[in-house]
Amino acid sequence: MSEAPEMHVRPKIVGARIKRTEDPRLLTGLGAYTDDRQIVRPLHVAFRRSDQSHAKIRLIDSAAARKAPGVVAIFTAVDLSEDVRTLVATSRMKDYHATPIFPLARGKVRYVGEPVVGVIAQSRYQAEDALELIVIDYEPLPVVIDPEQAVRDGAPLLHEEAGTNVLVSREFKRGDIDAVLASAPVRVEGRFRMHRKTPVAIEPRACVAEYDAGRQALTLHSATQVPGIVRDALAAALDIPGHRVRVIAPDVGGGFGGKGSLYPEEIFVCAAARRLRRAVKWTSDRMEDLLANTQGFDEIVDAEIGLDAGGHVLALRADVIGDVGAYSIYPWTAALEPIQVVSFLPGPYRIEHYRGRVQAVATSKAPTGPYRGVGRPTSTFVMERLMDMAAARLSIDPAEIRRRNLIPADELPYKAASGIVWDKSGFHECLQAACNAIGYDAWRARQKTARANGRWIGIGIASYAELTGIGSRISVAPGMPINTGTETASIRIDSTGAITAAFGVASHGQGLETTLAQVVAEHLGARFEDIRVIQGDSAAVAGGTGTYASRSMVLAGGAATLAAQTVRDKILNAASHLLEASVGDLAVQDGKITIVGTDRSISFADVARAVYSEIGKLPQEARGELAATKTYDPVFGTTSSATHIAVVEIDPQTYQIRIDQFVVAEDCGKLVNPLIVDGQVHGGVAQGIGAALYEEVRYDPQGQILTASLVDYLVPSACEIPSIQVTHVESASPTTLGGFRGMGEGGTIGALAAIANAVADALSPLGVDINELPMTPERLFRLIEAAKAETRS
Amino acid sequence: MKPPVFDYIAATSTDMAVAALAAAGGEAKIIAGGQSLMPMLSFRLLRPSLLVDINRIPGLAYIEEADTCLRIGALTRHFQIETSPVIARHLPVLSAAMTHVAHLAIRNRGTIGGSLSHGDPAAELPMIAVLLDATLHIESVSGQRAVRAQDFFLDALTVDLDSAEVLAEIILPKLPPNTGWGFEEIARRHGDFAIAAVAATLTVSDGSIRQARIALTGVGPTPVRAAAAETLLIGHALENKLVESVARAVRAAIAPEDDLHASADYRRHLAGVLTDRALHAAWRRAQGEP
Repeated sequence: MSEAPEMHVRPKIVGARIKRTEDPRLLTGLGAYTDDRQIVRPLHVAFRRSDQSHAKIRLIDSAAARKAPGVVAIFTAVDLSEDVRTLVATSRMKDYHATPIFPLARGKVRYVGEPVVGVIAQSRYQAEDALELIVIDYEPLPVVIDPEQAVRDGAPLLHEEAGTNVLVSREFKRGDIDAVLASAPVRVEGRFRMHRKTPVAIEPRACVAEYDAGRQALTLHSATQVPGIVRDALAAALDIPGHRVRVIAPDVGGGFGGKGSLYPEEIFVCAAARRLRRAVKWTSDRMEDLLANTQGFDEIVDAEIGLDAGGHVLALRADVIGDVGAYSIYPWTAALEPIQVVSFLPGPYRIEHYRGRVQAVATSKAPTGPYRGVGRPTSTFVMERLMDMAAARLSIDPAEIRRRNLIPADELPYKAASGIVWDKSGFHECLQAACNAIGYDAWRARQKTARANGRWIGIGIASYAELTGIGSRISVAPGMPINTGTETASIRIDSTGAITAAFGVASHGQGLETTLAQVVAEHLGARFEDIRVIQGDSAAVAGGTGTYASRSMVLAGGAATLAAQTVRDKILNAASHLLEASVGDLAVQDGKITIVGTDRSISFADVARAVYSEIGKLPQEARGELAATKTYDPVFGTTSSATHIAVVEIDPQTYQIRIDQFVVAEDCGKLVNPLIVDGQVHGGVAQGIGAALYEEVRYDPQGQILTASLVDYLVPSACEIPSIQVTHVESASPTTLGGFRGMGEGGTIGALAAIANAVADALSPLGVDINELPMTPERLFRLIEAAKAETRS
Repeated sequence: MKPPVFDYIAATSTDMAVAALAAAGGEAKIIAGGQSLMPMLSFRLLRPSLLVDINRIPGLAYIEEADTCLRIGALTRHFQIETSPVIARHLPVLSAAMTHVAHLAIRNRGTIGGSLSHGDPAAELPMIAVLLDATLHIESVSGQRAVRAQDFFLDALTVDLDSAEVLAEIILPKLPPNTGWGFEEIARRHGDFAIAAVAATLTVSDGSIRQARIALTGVGPTPVRAAAAETLLIGHALENKLVESVARAVRAAIAPEDDLHASADYRRHLAGVLTDRALHAAWRRAQGEP
């Protein structure tokens, strides 16, 4: 089937700057989030959460609470033990210790905020009133809060059955690291600290379970990124076949990874709804969100690079402790974040010799899970700091040292020392494009003058590469309970000629209703506005996981392409009979099939009418339903890369940091919708700025959380985010269908390191190292005071 | 995060409000803009038996100019103060401070009486009240009394206001002629409570300072006037050596504490830096520069 001729004559829908079709709904208050769901007589849950960091539960006395007004039921872990099968996030990694997932703490509590008792009442107010009447007798256990102490032999254990707090450890190694490092002419090293973050989606998590007792069927509406994963897990946990469990993620107000795992509260509301035969609802308040949502990025990295005199990196060594919190989350496991740090540490650079060791350590903090960037914000921070430190040592410009080390285009695909294979991506092109966009050389000149005038201006570069849209061959590797390497698209033209495209992905801000419709329209020859995208519903397709890991455009876009092409073939086949022309003479465009070179055409609706209600017009073989379901597996996935450059100015008296300019040059392959790509990059950079300068989850030495409100946990607002310039580099055709690369996370991955390098650059005359993020004014004050004291002495 | 049970009265007069407060025997709270109270209720940090809503009391929100002072009704919203031409003309330091009070949505709702009665140790309005020697008029069933702002703020979130009293009016003396002002604040993000803020006024004639006022917030449990530092300025022209010694005196006069966002040391450091900047700005403005 040739589609080349028509492609030249009509504007492409893929690549067009189309405004998001979901926005009028969301921006005018017509969206429907989980909490908006109207239900007859729902029951409301409030959780009594642990106020202890690590303690044995001796006794729970709910007698008084049961008598409180409006209370319908109160459940503890023991009460639900018959209702729920224990889930475990398994892994084939050796030395991995799984931890069970319970809806409520069983026997012991392991972090402040862990749900212990669920109170179900007529209203949330009454449920919260009753919480206060519950008496829990805890026997405090030794704190397990400092990850470096927790890894030591003899440390108190959070999970006794594991026999260690190290839930997983791993080593990546290539070459003779010790010998090469020992003989390297130049070595730079540092101890880097990335402090814990929490995603803070504007819509906190929420879930409501409805149980249809007559049909023995359960429907869960949940603010989740992964309705497919939750459905499959609930089917197993509750022992209900999949066709009687449906999980719907309606409009979802952001996730950033924080809604990307199965949560105890989701299991709880389902178990309670089935037991009570009533709808049961829980909406997280902001305090619960800050206490008990999965958190991210919490690492201590000791790293060193050895270079030759020309600034070429010879070897890299790193030892990482990842503080994963109290549990190994489902299905990703505690390995997810810290192992990605060592997998991605070598970055887009040609580094022959490498050893990266990592320990994922359980502590009594909220469990960590996926958070935008996963591992790579930390690995990029560390590697990019080392590159700048080496550049300073060798008096090479930071842009130049990267030029010397980025893998050249003719060496791609390149197998990195950690085993990752980079396919062709614009490593050098992005660096050059970012330098051009910001006017790098001009800024360096301006910086020189400013420094002479006592001003602290810094320019920071960060280059990175990431794997996106990963397929089954990569996602099988960690041996998780599921393989996330495929997605399915199901496209159908109904009897009115309208097109419905259903997916297993779950947009929660990415604009997939728009971009997937663009892909379908392009390959089907349909009008964009005639396509309705259904997603975020486990009933939409037979299998699917959701939206996370910069995968949806690659995987669902690929599946959409395949399914649309199949449906298009069916349309052409039927149309050729209706128009009495050969398929080769037909063109499909804007929902019409035309005999090329004539004005004779019929619409999709005409074809649909014939196929569904006038089948006498068609021979047997052309009567097939105008529908196709296709699953796409990118097998390995693809490489996305970018360079970020930040310019900051620091007030030499108050130490306040102002970002003057921020540029991103990125290669996400074929752009489906540049407006949406820009929006994703802007949001990612904003989150990276938050991580670099503001955001830090703090626990005190007893394991009490100190950042339980948004007065204490600071996320940047619009006032703190500069205008961000984005340049797109489409370097080479990648390995995915349609040429898409994932780009949802990159903004966050690069921004932290760029800001860190810019701050370090601004302070370089003082000899201050930046090796900890967020770089708060307080930390800057201490570093500068210490540097000044050293100069004086 | 749902408030515990409470009763609610929407007062239609100040008399009705104070009567309700008195009848509740210390268990009632006034709600005006609700910008601090509502979160405290939701966290269950406060458990009043009764909320007395004063939002519908007529005549409690006003900015009136008298000969020597401005009178501001307690229910006046931050936004009204921020945008008032009368305040901009007579008390520009207050207009400047208002832009640092949280965000527009909060300023549309929050009130001056609420902010002063709440007494947050890092808020701007208490500091300005102390800077400008405000007098606060307080009412209760037993009558009226007036308190100087200096004496009103007792400790963090603790003010000289009995549970049966309501702050009704704030009286701010106009600045003398030839007075310049400066306002400097450092917060983690725009609109956050101050890590440290300094407000200053300098009244200058014949090239030397006749009256100096320096107030700080965020650097102790209550807003403070740096009286000893103010004295150093009297009779002098502003120059760098003098500012250095004033900044030193300011640093010595405060007792900041560590919290999540800044250490006592950093706050003290900032207090000096911001004093320097605020004084220079005040000096420039006293010379008629913008």
